[in-house]
Amino acid sequence: MKIIQVKCPNCGQAIYQKTKDEMFLCQNCGTIHYRDDKGPHRVPFEVAPPNPNSGGQRFYMPFWRLRCDFHIRSRDVQGGLLHKLATTLRGGDNGGNLYIFVPAAELDTTTFRRLAVALTTSPPQYPVRQDFGGIERVPTAIGQDEAIEMADFVAVTLEAEKPGTLQYLDYELKVLEAKLIYLPMVSTPSGPWLAI
Amino acid sequence: MAQVNCPRCAAPIELDSGNKFAKCSYCGSMIFFDRTGAGFYYAIPFKLSQNDAVGTFRRWAGGSTKAKDLDRLASITSVKKKYFPVYLFRRDVNGREEVYVKPAGSTILPGLHQLKVPGGDLKIFDGNFDTNGAELVKPDIEMTHYLDNLPGKGKEQALVYFPIWTIDYTFNGASYQVVVDASSSEVFATSFPTRSSAAYLLVAVAGFFAFLVLGFVATVYLVPALILMALTVVAVFFISLTVARRL
Amino acid sequence: MGDITVGLNCPACGGAITIAEGESVVNCQYCGSTLYAEGDKGVQTIAFKNKLDERTAIGAAQAWWGKGFKARDLKRTGAVTECYPIYIPFWDIRTRVAGWVCGYEERTRSDSKGNTKTERIYKEEMVLMDLAYSEIACDPGDLGLRSLRNFSGESTFEDLDMIPTFESTTSRDDADAHARSDAIARGRSSAHVPHITFENLHALVKRTSMIYYPIWVVRYTYQDRMYLLTVDGVTGQVLSGRAPGDPLFQSLAVTAGTSIGGLAAAGGVLFTINTGSEFGIAGVILGFIILGATYVFFRHGSEIIQGDFADRKKGPDMRQLGNIGKMIGGAYR
Repeated sequence: MKIIQVKCPNCGQAIYQKTKDEMFLCQNCGTIHYRDDKGPHRVPFEVAPPNPNSGGQRFYMPFWRLRCDFHIRSRDVQGGLLHKLATTLRGGDNGGNLYIFVPAAELDTTTFRRLAVALTTSPPQYPVRQDFGGIERVPTAIGQDEAIEMADFVAVTLEAEKPGTLQYLDYELKVLEAKLIYLPMVSTPSGPWLAI
Repeated sequence: MAQVNCPRCAAPIELDSGNKFAKCSYCGSMIFFDRTGAGFYYAIPFKLSQNDAVGTFRRWAGGSTKAKDLDRLASITSVKKKYFPVYLFRRDVNGREEVYVKPAGSTILPGLHQLKVPGGDLKIFDGNFDTNGAELVKPDIEMTHYLDNLPGKGKEQALVYFPIWTIDYTFNGASYQVVVDASSSEVFATSFPTRSSAAYLLVAVAGFFAFLVLGFVATVYLVPALILMALTVVAVFFISLTVARRL
Repeated sequence: MGDITVGLNCPACGGAITIAEGESVVNCQYCGSTLYAEGDKGVQTIAFKNKLDERTAIGAAQAWWGKGFKARDLKRTGAVTECYPIYIPFWDIRTRVAGWVCGYEERTRSDSKGNTKTERIYKEEMVLMDLAYSEIACDPGDLGLRSLRNFSGESTFEDLDMIPTFESTTSRDDADAHARSDAIARGRSSAHVPHITFENLHALVKRTSMIYYPIWVVRYTYQDRMYLLTVDGVTGQVLSGRAPGDPLFQSLAVTAGTSIGGLAAAGGVLFTINTGSEFGIAGVILGFIILGATYVFFRHGSEIIQGDFADRKKGPDMRQLGNIGKMIGGAYR
């Protein structure tokens, strides 16, 4: 076992952080990386600025945004013949490109599902930033590989939530790109809510 | 007691088998034990005395699949206390941790040629270890013999002395052998005198069909059928009681 | 033996650092540098405090002797020869299972004229839940323990030096793999879809730790035989054990089983003959199941076993009986 000081692979600056977040943010050059036994890996990320009008305690929550190619080969749905137009799928009802959001923080199952479905069905629009403006980050608990595993679940959820009862689905899901997205949140009695 | 020295202040630190970390009680340094290159010797203490082992054998011999009264009629010819050596390998195979257990001594004892990982309180085995009169089976298979053939990289390897009682007994003129694990009281045996299920099955099936037939009869002759049923209940009860006691 | 110890110091300031087993990120308490531990990190380990003493453990054992179909004189003649605590390691793995199970359920109804209709109810069920899985981390031998029933307790390492501790000798990755397949199986059964046409389930391992759990081993004798049972050192309940049975209970069981089973079968056959409905067959099946269950007890009831032993004989499970009961209920309605 070897203890090493974490240094930014981009600019070489030592990392000092208060939380045990494995997504190391460099204070000097603003890049994020994580480490495993093979060494450091840069993580592409985006930060959404918070809504200045949102009250309460603000914090940044990490999400994996996976750009996916989702193709449905065949499906069998019982009842509910009137399909809702697939608004989330650019390119028609049988698939296409979409962004799947997988919450990366440690969350209970209800919040996990609510955020994953809400963000995937209506992806947030925001001016892309790279700085956190001094707002705290929640540590990342779900790695990229686990997020890709969960993307499958979110994709099937979108299909199952359409009218009718899903009986069979044959599909292909390819993850084209993974990015860590930090979204501003406020805590409310009913869990964290988006504050864009 | 096996000890290592603190790399900072050279104070002795007790080396416990489970932990990868220890804190030096003198200078407070956190120490990490790197077990990848070293081989350890452990022994599991005996939890069963000779009487316990024989009692455990009798409990096992009284089981429902063993010959009736095997626990009383088996005549024990020898009881031996032994430490049997097994190798325990923890290896990193393509990023997955795998555990392998291999016998370190050649044996024909039941249960030991397909050993599982022994469960027990691993104690450091060194010159000061008290075997309490147990015969130490010599490890006649080299650790390197296995190391060369196992996949992956070594994380830890150890020789574990596994405490056993071997019991030889004869029953109806034939001799048998069992091994009693002296840590968890598991009994290993490859062959033993068995009990036939025939009498049990016969009672159950005959009783079942008797009632089935009496059920039909009851629709025609209710009262005689009820009387016969009562008699059958009594008969089945006493026959089955005899079978359970004697066969 | 070579140099097997490594002192852990902050590479930036040289200060001694403390890192919990299983953790990979630590912030130096002196200079604030963020540090990363490379290589074999071990697993986070906790030990539960033992709440029993010898007297309460023996008390639990004696209470257990009096329960169920054990030898009637066990409470009087059984004698405890030894009673001691041990710590046993268990993998405690928390998983999250997420996915969908789709399919249908078939329900059969019969109207007053005896016509039966089979109806298909289509189902799509989401599975999203966090689960706890445990498995013993060493060979259980003949202790009859495989998994934990209780996951809460006061955590302490105080007793770990005083009480003999069984060492972990199984692979963490194997345990993680078992936890994942357990999560998928439990996720599937939680959906309650009898006929599955589509399934998409994923299991994530969220945390793997090791619990050292205090277990009291009680050895006792009965008619020259040596038996063993284990008592949970936190809750005080008997977890597993073997005990002598009683021929009286064995023969009572088979007497009851043959009479009730035989009459149930006869009733079933007569029902079919009189009404022409095939539901009478359920009565015959029920009769055979009662016979089978009581036969197993008759044949193997000379030893009463509680817990996860390899040689435990099981009768038909209650769910099967329940389903058959439902079928019969439906037929007579």
